[in-house]
Amino acid sequence: MIAARATLLARAGVLWLLLAGQAARASPGVSEPAGTIQLAAVRGRAVATLDLSSLFGPNRQQEFGNGLTNVIEIYTAVLPEEATAPVTIHGRLLEILFDVWEETYTVTIKDPEHPAGSRVVLPSFSSLRSFLSDQRGVDLGPVEALPDAFTVEVRVEVNPISKEQLQRTREYIAAGAGVRSNGSRSVLGAVASFLLREPAAGTDVHVLRSGPFTRGGVPAR
Amino acid sequence: MNRPDAPALPRARLLAELRGALRISRFEIRIAAALVVAATLPLVGALLLADRVAAENLALGLDPRVVQRLQSVPTLYGELFQARKQLYAAQARELARGLPANGSEADAYLSAAVKRTPRLRRVTWLSPEGKVLAQTEATHPNPEGEWREAPARVELPDGGRLECVFAIEAQYFADLAEARDLAETVQGLDALRSEIRRSYVRAFGALLVVWAAAAAILGIWLARRTTRRVSRLVAAVQRLAAGDLTVQVDPGSFADEVAGLTRAFNEMVREVREGRDRIVYLEKISGWQEVARRLAHEIKNPLTPMKLAFQQLKARWDQLPGGEPNFGSLLAEVGEIMRDEIGTLQRLVDEFSGFAKLPDVRPEPADLCDFVEEFVRQNPQLRADADVLVVRAAGSFPVELDRTLMRRVLANLCSNAVEASRPARPRLHLSVSRTRDRGVVSVADEGPGVDPSLRDRIFDPYFTTKVGTGTGLGLAIVKKIVLQHGGEIAVSDRPGGGANFTLAFPLRAPTGSAPAAQEV
Repeated sequence: MIAARATLLARAGVLWLLLAGQAARASPGVSEPAGTIQLAAVRGRAVATLDLSSLFGPNRQQEFGNGLTNVIEIYTAVLPEEATAPVTIHGRLLEILFDVWEETYTVTIKDPEHPAGSRVVLPSFSSLRSFLSDQRGVDLGPVEALPDAFTVEVRVEVNPISKEQLQRTREYIAAGAGVRSNGSRSVLGAVASFLLREPAAGTDVHVLRSGPFTRGGVPAR
Repeated sequence: MNRPDAPALPRARLLAELRGALRISRFEIRIAAALVVAATLPLVGALLLADRVAAENLALGLDPRVVQRLQSVPTLYGELFQARKQLYAAQARELARGLPANGSEADAYLSAAVKRTPRLRRVTWLSPEGKVLAQTEATHPNPEGEWREAPARVELPDGGRLECVFAIEAQYFADLAEARDLAETVQGLDALRSEIRRSYVRAFGALLVVWAAAAAILGIWLARRTTRRVSRLVAAVQRLAAGDLTVQVDPGSFADEVAGLTRAFNEMVREVREGRDRIVYLEKISGWQEVARRLAHEIKNPLTPMKLAFQQLKARWDQLPGGEPNFGSLLAEVGEIMRDEIGTLQRLVDEFSGFAKLPDVRPEPADLCDFVEEFVRQNPQLRADADVLVVRAAGSFPVELDRTLMRRVLANLCSNAVEASRPARPRLHLSVSRTRDRGVVSVADEGPGVDPSLRDRIFDPYFTTKVGTGTGLGLAIVKKIVLQHGGEIAVSDRPGGGANFTLAFPLRAPTGSAPAAQEV
């Protein structure tokens, strides 16, 4: 699972243009005030802090507290001015599971800094909101590698059809949609699973775009 | 160094055979096209149907109410857990309210509480300082089986607290995990509903195409088994039309109409060929008979004057007194030579005349086997000259025979066999058998056989291997008589050595047969 996620993140660069195009069609692009995306130089590296509070309002409580695994994918890209191809992409995957016995939110974070996953247990929805809204430590690489002028674009997908889910669905229909209990495989299901394609991006996709930055203007912290 | 081209030839032949095998005739293309159309035409309808079936099945399996209920299962468990927690908290408060003022009665109170309160496993009364004042734990197993701890804490008015541990069934958590897994799967399926429907349609289409292709290939293969034979038959007819009367087509092991047609074709070609050979041979024999008749006439005419003239010369010499004695002996010697040579010429003339004046065949019904046995029985000289073994199949062999001419045929063949077998004691094998529509007589000897290179010529008139003694007319007469009976004659090697002459005559009516043998 972790390997699959790592692969997903590694492919993020290739997917970016496609996803951005699909997102533009799926939902209107949202340009946020520059303050929601802050950039600082930490030990020579450009580190972004994202304020996603506008995306995770109180209305999400029922969704995230339903006892099922909710997935949030956050892709942060550095786009040179007047260019569409990003020079740097950072991917972060958050898996949220509300424990209905303990009544806590367990968040598993997977990103290049935590390829094996890091877990955080949050006692309430408000603390979960705070955690989700304040995404810190988004490493965008060395400051020297940044373009002279650029913007930072953040793409947030809530509960997308992930590769993992696609694979799980493939296995499910390959086994005859769970009808066959003897472990044998359905030929039709196997072929259908082979021919199952990735769906278009979901509707809960949000794009945030910073104001212009310059490489020299990145403040040190 | 030049390598020999020998390996190239089989390769070229192999390639030619491969090209021939892969070549598809127009007939085969039409059959294959019909099969492919028949196999693929239903696909369009099937695909439309598959789309509907997939959509309806998904609608059945992913009913929004079912999806919602599944997704709400963890919430329901949450509510269950909440209810349990509230129940346990209420029970704990109830226990706290009844705590005795006297600490010495606490243990008994708590023990009784553990016994009477369902799922209560442990109770601990703590002082405000955290000191354990009393503690009781259930010793009996939990009636609900595996369990997990569910704590409930009550703060007491004096600052102390009562800590209760209840049991909650572990099975709930396993069920919750399974329900969550299923709900997430269904959630994914619901989100991918359109893609799943399309993938099933695509899969159905792909499988149908594979199925149709397999059906078409199988059909083509089955069709080619027939069309190939028809194509071979067509090619054979074309060769026949071009004058090739040796053409034959292998009917294979099939028992269908095409195989019947092939056998009929082969039979027709064979009859045409035999008819043509018969006509050609009879025409040739007829020509030779005319030659023989003229030759006999031309030779025969001067023989009598020559004979008379010499007799006159001899009579005149005998009348002359005191003639030259040497001349007299010379005349006698010349006279003897002339008589021998004239006798030889006379015999030659007789044979030529006999050949030229072969009578027409007058066939009458006879049994071929009876006729052969009768021939052997009526020729004591033959039995004296040779050991004769007659082998006959059981049953009757009704044919049309001219007995006189056929006796001449057998006599000639037996005579040749006896001569060929000498100086050893000749041993003749006469057999009578039958094919589907022919009665077959074989005359075989144990002599040196007939050189294969001469077999095409031995039935030609005036061809003989008997130096100085044969006229070369015997086998020509034999063949003519056999052909006039509508039969055939062939020569082959006898297994074990010797020549084997086979005469086949058309049967008048088919009867059963079984092998049997007798020696005469």
